[in-house]
Amino acid sequence: MTTDLNIPGSQSTPTILGDWQSGRLAMQGDSYPENSYELFDQVIGWVERFLDRESRPLRLDLALVYLNTSSVKAMMDIFDHLEEAHLAGREIGVTWRYDPRNERIAELAEEFREDCTFPFAITPARSEA
Amino acid sequence: MDLLGMRESYLRQRIMLCFNGPISRSLIEEIGNALRNYLHSQDAAPSAAMDVFAAYIEMTQNIRHYALRQGYDEEGASATVAVARNERGHYVVSAGNLVEREDGERVIATIETLRGLDKQALKQAYKQQLRQPRDAASRTGAGLGLLDIARKSSEPMEASLEPLPDGRGFLSLTAII
Repeated sequence: MTTDLNIPGSQSTPTILGDWQSGRLAMQGDSYPENSYELFDQVIGWVERFLDRESRPLRLDLALVYLNTSSVKAMMDIFDHLEEAHLAGREIGVTWRYDPRNERIAELAEEFREDCTFPFAITPARSEA
Repeated sequence: MDLLGMRESYLRQRIMLCFNGPISRSLIEEIGNALRNYLHSQDAAPSAAMDVFAAYIEMTQNIRHYALRQGYDEEGASATVAVARNERGHYVVSAGNLVEREDGERVIATIETLRGLDKQALKQAYKQQLRQPRDAASRTGAGLGLLDIARKSSEPMEASLEPLPDGRGFLSLTAII
């Protein structure tokens, strides 16, 4: 049974792809929906199910740009789940790519990383935009 | 209609973009988009442009959340928003809306508390607020958004509350990025 996640992006919401087989969750774009949990509850649910049913590593590949505060809160919930799984012995890895012309994105990623002990790379990468 | 008077007033106050009226989810996005394009055309640094956009989004979404929670009608759910540049070249983001008097006073008190916090203390308060349970956080409302704006501001935020004859008030917030 496939349990992939495929949420197309919009002006105010990121593109979200969860690949169950490869244990990879990718999110890219801006995130400032009015009610972020309408969007992120599905993502949080996917992460919970993956961590619950599988014992394989989970990797997050992020290229998020601007997050409003309610999206920040939802992302923190996701990182909390990852941290908990990591402390229980699960292999977790996060890579956050950002446009080096905008240091705010790196600062945002850095604040999430402060509360995490798993490998968390914040990597400058020019986007084609 | 005194369009020339409006124009002169906008020019005098260096207003780049403004809006007054009922504010919907999609209008917030559309005006936000116009704001981003404008900042881009002005060659604003990407980080400054993002801070201005963030202040705009947090203010307008706070107004929407509040109006929805209060069950206000269209008029009550309207917002007055302006983005300007001050004489020192800093971006200024202002938003105003109708509020119950005591809610407005609470926001004024919050802004007053934030005034006394330096960047490090603001960060700490922000992270603490982020850790509040979802329900508790939604009850206290604007907390996280205001902290976020305060962190992105180059000087303390300003707030004022004008009492209105119907018992409500008009709350104005201004952030200088």
